[in-house]
Order: sequence, then C-alpha cells, then structure tokens
Amino acid sequence: MSVSTKIKRHPGMLLRFAKAKSSKFVHEMLDFVGGSINLLYATALSVFRPPYYFGLFTEQCYSLGVKSLSIAFITALSTGMVMSIQFGYGLERFGGKLYVPKVVGLSIMRELGPVLTCLMLAGRVGAGIAAEVGSMKVTQQIDAIRALGTDPLKRIVIPRILAMMLMTPLLVVMADLVGVCGGMMLSYFELNIPMDFYFHEAVTALQLSDFTVGVTKTFFFGLIIAVTGCYYGLKTEGGTQGVGQATRHSVVTSSILITIFDFILTKIFWIFEKGAHG
Amino acid sequence: MAKLDKSREVASGETLIKVEEVYKTFDDKVVHNGINLDIKKGEILTLMGGSGSGKSVLLRSLIGLEKPDRGHIYFEGTDIAALNEEQLVSVRKKIAYVFQYGALFDSFTIADNLAYPLREHTKLSEKQIREKVSATLAKLGLQGTEESFPADLSGGMQRRVGVARSIIMDPEVILYDEPTTGLDPYNTKQILKIILQLKSHGATSVLVTHDMFSIFAVTDRVAFLKDGKIEALGTAQEIKDTKDPALHGFIHGETM
Repeated sequence: MSVSTKIKRHPGMLLRFAKAKSSKFVHEMLDFVGGSINLLYATALSVFRPPYYFGLFTEQCYSLGVKSLSIAFITALSTGMVMSIQFGYGLERFGGKLYVPKVVGLSIMRELGPVLTCLMLAGRVGAGIAAEVGSMKVTQQIDAIRALGTDPLKRIVIPRILAMMLMTPLLVVMADLVGVCGGMMLSYFELNIPMDFYFHEAVTALQLSDFTVGVTKTFFFGLIIAVTGCYYGLKTEGGTQGVGQATRHSVVTSSILITIFDFILTKIFWIFEKGAHG
Repeated sequence: MAKLDKSREVASGETLIKVEEVYKTFDDKVVHNGINLDIKKGEILTLMGGSGSGKSVLLRSLIGLEKPDRGHIYFEGTDIAALNEEQLVSVRKKIAYVFQYGALFDSFTIADNLAYPLREHTKLSEKQIREKVSATLAKLGLQGTEESFPADLSGGMQRRVGVARSIIMDPEVILYDEPTTGLDPYNTKQILKIILQLKSHGATSVLVTHDMFSIFAVTDRVAFLKDGKIEALGTAQEIKDTKDPALHGFIHGETM
C-alpha cells in the first residue's frame, strides 16, 4: 500500500503524528530546562561545601582542557587562514585588501574564535562527558558512588563544570592568538601583506573590549557544555543505546545553546559597550 | 555444602531494620503496596519473588538509593526514607550494597576500588589502606589482583571484588543484589562462604536472589514478595515446605 493511500484513509494521521512529535519535543525541552537548572542549582549549593576534590578538578582540567589544545589550535589556525583568503580576494575587488588585518582580527576576537572553538569543544568534550557519565550511570557506577557514601555531584559534576569554566576561556585566548597569526601568515604568503603591517593594523583596530567580550562569552559556553553533558549523562537509561542517545543529545543541545546564547550575550555586551561609550 | 550449613545460626531476634507501610510506584506501575518487614540483627534474610515484584527496589530503598512514595524505613531509630543524600552518608557507612555486576569503577585499579571508601571516610594512612585492601582481597581469594583493572578480571572475580569493596568498611548490614546469579559453582560457593563468614562476625545480610540453591544454603528467613506486598515470611525450611500454591509454584518453577 502506498503512503498516499494510507494518508487518504487516515486524514488525521499526519496531524496526529506532528502533534505527538511536537508534544514530545516540548516535553523533552521542558525536561531539559528544568533538569539542567536543578543541576546548576544543586551545584551552586554544593560547590562551597566540603569535601573538596581538588585532584579530580585538576584531572578534568587536563582531560577536558589540555587534551583539547590540538583541536582548538587546528580550528583557529584554519579559521584565521580561511578568513584572510576570503576577505583578501573579496576586498581586493574593491581595493580594500589592506583592511584584511582589521576585519580578520575583529571577527576572530569577537566572534569566530570563541564560537567555533566552543562548538568544537561541544563535540569533543560535551560528547565525552555525556558518554563517560552515561556509561557510569548504566553500569551502576553512579549508584555505587552514592551507596559508598559519596556524592556524584561533587565527584562527577562539579569538577567537570569548574574545569570547563576555567579551561574554555584559556583555550579561546590561545585560539584567538593562533587565528590572528594564521591570518597573518596567509596574508604574508598569499596576499603579500607584510607581517609588521598586519600586526600593527590588527592591534590598532582591536580594543580591549573586543577581546574581553569574546573571552567572557566562553565562560558561559564552557558552563553550557559541561552542564548539558552531565545532565544527559546522568539521565542516561537503557544500556549502550541510551549512552549513544545521551551523547547525541548533548552535542546537539549544547551546540544549539551556544549559538542562541552567543546572540543573547553579544546583544547584552553591545548594550553595555554602547552605554559605556555614552 | 555441609560445611556452609554448620555456620548457620538463629537470628538474635532484635529488629535492626523496620520497613513500615512502604508504597512505591513508577509511573502507573505499583511496585510496593504497603510493605511491612522486620529485619533482625545478625540474620540472613532473602527477598524472593518474580521478576518485577519489587525486590531490588526494596533492597535499594533500604540504603536510600530509592525513596518510597509513602512509608518509613527505620534503621537504628532513624527513618532512612526521610533523609536527604547528605544525611544518608552516615547510614551508608553502616549499610553496604553489593551490586549485581559489581559496579566497579572501571577507570580505577582493583586496589583503588577497594581503597575508595577508606579514603573517603577514614583517616587511615596510605600504608594502612594498602594493608587493609590486601587483607580484604585475600579474604575473598583475590590476592595479586591489586594492580589489575576490573576489565582484566572475570565476571565472577569482579563480583567478588564488589563484595570486597562493600565489606571493607566492616558494615553492620550488607545488601546483596543477585550476588550469585550467573556465576560458576566455585564463585557462587566463595560468595556464599563470605556471606556466612560475615554473619558469624555479627553482620546482617539481606539478599535478593532467584538462586534457590543459595537461598536454602545460607538463608535464615525468606520473604516472598507478590503484588507489591510480603506474601509469605518464614524460615528457609518453612518456605521450602510451604503448601501455599503460589509460593510452592514459584519455588518449583511452575509459576512466575
């Protein structure tokens, strides 16, 4: 039987299907919002209460931050180079090739460095957190932590959240510098823009606020990646399939949230900057 | 099994854990529908029942891993059901839980798995911890596995490590979730032996198992769960000789 025949026989089927799907989506979304706010609230309450697991925090800084250096480096370098080549040849048509350092520097510092690095981290770190915590959940290791008189929030969630809030801005600072340097190298070899000129133009075009706004956003992005990963990890059910789902949900949700919060935070920061400049 | 049977003693009679009118539902499924149960100090009690009868949920409730919707679970005068996670820590130092598949931390070595509760709750030096870990592993025939990871061990050995981790703090009560299910006769006997050894040192044990051999080899009393309630409660022998058709059918594999 063809699909069209089926639809003719059941005219409300598509509507019911759409309703069911949208209702499931809304339910899952509300579940996530409520659950992650709860998790954040519980974390905020617990973070200053002993015991403190400083060793676990440094372990996570290494695992989530230091081990992400290469991915952040490659992303930033290629972004800087691509931006230079695109703007270089694009602006050349209007005689604006010499604006490349300013445009690339501003774009990387304010937007591309922070957002692209964090999207890559959402893939690498967010997926890793959700998969690791999810596996611990389905193999009852989270229950074992509780049964042995310790708190999974303190041992699992807090070290990851704090590590991401510290390491994400640091990674982005590195990515910003690498991105600008990548653009400078490309401009030198491909567009014949001297390095000292590029550097001078980029530095004079940038204000401290361009740098701080970009980096401050990543503090929130790091929080989003860690909380989303932990939330989906702790919510995992149903064995290996559940771990796969948790991982997928974590990456998709944190990537979407990063783009949404990027807009919100950018808007807020512009309002503040405008206010500061009268 | 004669040797195992010899160490069986009659429970002292003093109630250590009191389960009072416990109700629990998951979505629409009623799991516990007014459970009442007294667990006596020093006894080995087995919770028996068909799949989905709520045995494991009851066992988890005894250590606060599940919260009843209604009712009370008293341990040394404290209502476990009313405690939050932080307050449950002191209870969990006295009540240990042995997970069905060990639930060992797979990124830790066996020694670190056993050392975990000692590092968290005691002020023992690393040397003392290492000594205690080695002694506990030896007790379960697991000497030499200290530096291995859980994945390097067989399923039976992982279960025994799970038992070792649970007993290393010398708990008053040990809750076993299907401790012998799927194990070979050697590992089954090792675990039953340790359950009896712990009993001889005064520990109280609560088992959830489908393994009839284990039930009748070590248990003092058996509680049979059906339809969310304790349907029958008696000594292992009384349960074995029961005339109740549901229980008789369950024991002899004629009904679920």
